Amino acid sequence: MSAVAPPAARPAPLVVYRDDGNFSNAFGKFGRRLPIPSIVFAALAALLVVVPALVGAGEDVAIAAVIFAVMLGGLSAGRAEEGRFRWLVPPAIRLTEYGGLLWIGAVAGGDGLPAAFALLCALAYRHYDLVYRLRHRGVTPPQWVNLAGLGWDGRLFFSAVVLLTWDVVPEGFFIAAIVFGVMFVAESVAGWTSSARGQRGSVYEEEEDEGQ
Amino acid sequence: MTTDVSERRVGATGAPVPPPPRAAAPPTVTTAIVVATAAAEHGEPTATLAWEDTTVVRRLVEQIASVGAQTIHVLVRPDGAAAVERALGGAAVSLERSDSPSSDLRTIARIARESTGGLLVALGDVVTQREVLAGLAVDPRVATGALATVNNLGRPTAPRIRSARGRVVSAASPYHLVHRPTATFLGVLKVGADDRATFAGVAEHLATLTAGPLPEGWAEELDRKEGMWRGGFARMAARQSAEAGDARTAGLLEVDADLDDDAVAGPEELAPERPEDIVLSEADEAELRRRVAVAPDDVTSMLLAGLVRSGTQVAVNHLRKLFWARTLSAADVERAATDIQRFDEDKVLLDSAVKAADGFFTTFFVSTYSKYVARWAARRGLTPNQITTVSVLIGFAAAAAFATGDRWGLVAGAVLLQIAFTTDCVDGQLARYTRQFSKLGAWLDSVFDRTKEYAVFAGLAIGYAATHADDIWALAGAALTLQTVRHQMDFAFGAARQQVIGETRHPPIEQPSDRVGAGARPPAPEGGSSAPARAVVDAPAAAQAVDPPRPVSLPRRVLGLWRKLDRWPGMVWIKRMVAFPIGERFAVISLTAALLDAKVTFIVLLAWGGLAASYTFAGRFLRSVSG
Repeated sequence: MSAVAPPAARPAPLVVYRDDGNFSNAFGKFGRRLPIPSIVFAALAALLVVVPALVGAGEDVAIAAVIFAVMLGGLSAGRAEEGRFRWLVPPAIRLTEYGGLLWIGAVAGGDGLPAAFALLCALAYRHYDLVYRLRHRGVTPPQWVNLAGLGWDGRLFFSAVVLLTWDVVPEGFFIAAIVFGVMFVAESVAGWTSSARGQRGSVYEEEEDEGQ
Repeated sequence: MTTDVSERRVGATGAPVPPPPRAAAPPTVTTAIVVATAAAEHGEPTATLAWEDTTVVRRLVEQIASVGAQTIHVLVRPDGAAAVERALGGAAVSLERSDSPSSDLRTIARIARESTGGLLVALGDVVTQREVLAGLAVDPRVATGALATVNNLGRPTAPRIRSARGRVVSAASPYHLVHRPTATFLGVLKVGADDRATFAGVAEHLATLTAGPLPEGWAEELDRKEGMWRGGFARMAARQSAEAGDARTAGLLEVDADLDDDAVAGPEELAPERPEDIVLSEADEAELRRRVAVAPDDVTSMLLAGLVRSGTQVAVNHLRKLFWARTLSAADVERAATDIQRFDEDKVLLDSAVKAADGFFTTFFVSTYSKYVARWAARRGLTPNQITTVSVLIGFAAAAAFATGDRWGLVAGAVLLQIAFTTDCVDGQLARYTRQFSKLGAWLDSVFDRTKEYAVFAGLAIGYAATHADDIWALAGAALTLQTVRHQMDFAFGAARQQVIGETRHPPIEQPSDRVGAGARPPAPEGGSSAPARAVVDAPAAAQAVDPPRPVSLPRRVLGLWRKLDRWPGMVWIKRMVAFPIGERFAVISLTAALLDAKVTFIVLLAWGGLAASYTFAGRFLRSVSG
């Protein structure tokens, strides 16, 4: 067979789904050098947030846990495409992020939780869009949206360190929900109308075994 | 587009055909190549066989033209050219004379290099319905794809393929074998514009290989296949006499709807130890001779094998419940003409518009009537995207009703949510029924599904807070998180599997076996009977099929037992219900919100969703550790 040139590097789904920001990119470089599968870090990050949140730990614990979770989750970026259980890493990152935001909303009190819910709606749009865009068009959002969205790590860190310590969680979350929501939706809709034809999407699976 | 009702086109059989796709979706196939080189016993090409008041090849060419191909080339042998030209009866095609399979492949390579846009390659003696070709040619989501079926066609000579997650991972040709096949290739191949250059390279390479003496092992593989087919015909005959019925059509009509081909690999296809000892009936012997005679002319399966071995992404396009046959003799045509009559094309098309592997609630409580809504919408000329938009608007109305929090608001929201869900099923069924697929539509459908669901969560939580002293935002947030995390796990697991498939090394096309390195030998002959994969009707003898013994790990054994449970009646549905798909989720929301309150809704969503997450996690964990 004549050597067929591989198609231009396609974005790796398992990396795209993570929605990493600059923290994770930096920690990921370090994590890459450690001989530890990414699922170990990602699972620890998720546990670090979910367990104390469920037992109702307070503000100081929340800030510390979120900072450590961001570090651990960042380390898991290094080997995102390796390991038997690599498919568990993106869901673990999502659990860390959403669980962390809900926890911050809960410890902030007031309208913290409904504000966290609003923010989660905007973020869920982003995370489903990342998947569906790659699946149906084979493309990822432009870099400016990824930067402006801060990544899961940036959002979590900012929420814990700035919003929670300054005691402006509900306001901050509501504003973030509106800003992110408008930005993510507008950009993804504009992306559809402007691009006539993207790259080939991923394999179209007639029967997907995913609960739709 | 209400004019569609009066302008509805009428197909050749007089049955109404759904409106063609809008101009917005340009035909993805512009050029077609019909391979009319196989010769029937009387020497004339098989494609020239008479079909009603036309011929098999003319019917196929007209069908292909009607699904968008502007240029159609027909490959003929020089001595069959005149007959094919007559059979085409003046259809606008260009005849390409070619004297051997090698020269066929070279011609195909030339056409592929000269054309622009997508390419369709089909065997000239294929009898099928127009909608089958439309499904492959028009679907923009399938760049390069092969028409295939998991049904038991009762045709042991059709080339087999193995597929995983919607992708062909190995394909048989007259000279190539597939280990543990899962489906059958039906002689129609679509090549996307981006893959045309690769395809032309594959065709040229195959042309070189078939020009002189065949590479090592190719002739032996064809001999082995003959033995295998002989065994297949014998089994079929045994089965037919055992049932005193027509197993061929029985197998065709009672299709196995389970298309989740990722889970189960078919049994190895083995040749009987002494095929020459098997005595077939006169008719079967003649049929076998015909099939063996035309096998070397089947360039479509060689091209498919070549594409797959080159690492090209080839999607599987399912026949679903429609009709297909390769007719090599007048008797074949007669049988096909009878069998195709049993297919009410519109009904079958409508039935197959329903997703095969949907959840319990969707299948039994929604799809039973939503397909008629889909047909009504098709006749009104509505597009799937319009239905999707209506569905999301009704979903928002449901969320608003839930947000009032009072009893009648909850009841109204529950009803509206079910209407929104029905319309959501309609859009997909309408798209499949009318072949109006678009990437935008698929994206809209997916995104709006999530939007509806989470808007309803918000509505329920707002309504609860408005009417109670406490609030349930934590529960609503937890439910949203659980659902998103579950989906992320599905997506990531699928991506990891695709990554594995994409990285799989394929042996060079020169090698008959599809295994790299060790184990590259064809499966050893075996004592006579092996069950065809997923046979609908298992012959008693086939039950004794023995797989070659190999060490089985514990997780693999657990998975095997788990799959065996599917044989219990209803077990498949229970498993699908446990996975908590969208139909069940929306039913839970409607029932609990209307009858109880929103807090119960979220608690049930969390409990059932948690069970579903553990269940799917356990299955995937086992699959990951079993390699």
